Amino acid sequence: MTHPDEAQAGLELQLKDEIIRMYQEVADHPTGEFHFFHGREAAEQFDYPREWLDRAPVGAVASFAGVGNPHLRSELQPGETVLDLGSGAGLDAIIASWQVGAAGQVIGVDLNPAMCLKAQAHAAATGTTMECRDGRMEDSPVADASVDVILSNGVINLSFRKRRVIEEMHRVLRPGGRISITDIVSAKQLSQSIVNDPKLWAS
Amino acid sequence: MFTLLEQSGFTRVRSAVVPRFRFRKTSTQASAEAFGVKAVMMTAVKAARA
Repeated sequence: MTHPDEAQAGLELQLKDEIIRMYQEVADHPTGEFHFFHGREAAEQFDYPREWLDRAPVGAVASFAGVGNPHLRSELQPGETVLDLGSGAGLDAIIASWQVGAAGQVIGVDLNPAMCLKAQAHAAATGTTMECRDGRMEDSPVADASVDVILSNGVINLSFRKRRVIEEMHRVLRPGGRISITDIVSAKQLSQSIVNDPKLWAS
Repeated sequence: MFTLLEQSGFTRVRSAVVPRFRFRKTSTQASAEAFGVKAVMMTAVKAARA
């Protein structure tokens, strides 16, 4: 019989593959139709200022797959260090980099190394920088107490281990550091058939 | 998630519903509503050292 921990680990691996596949699909085929709104249409829906969307690389905007606007309450200041969990094609990280300026630093973390490269290229195209690290938010490749602000947009819900993700967020923040995140929550426990199906969970 | 943030030591946890979030497909949106699925914006602070 499979130990429950092994079954969970197996599901997590399948989920990782499904998340990479789904969001890579959005990045590679931004004109495709998905069950969620994405791209400029979604960003405008969430009140991203048009001047930001005009200034950002087209590819970063087209691949946007967030569920809200974490910048509305982030109050980023010049010189701050920002961590964007699940940075994807880089739109939120790029916007953050404009706000913290050259004296600040933006670090992205993403499961998909190809998306990390894409996000960094998008940042460079706007004359700014972000460092994207390939990794999981359950084990963030970020030093203890090194970050002023954590942004995240629609990715924590994808984790099977949300408590672990939040503990990691607490670990990497400096005392007095803050989070500004947007995400999907459910008022009811999802059925086991959804929990055990990485394709549905990733949706 | 609100509770997890508080249990993990965050303070000043605040949340608000993202007003215009919805799924593109009507069937997905209907399923989401049945489960009480919504998008939220959350802010919180890691307590400064005493």
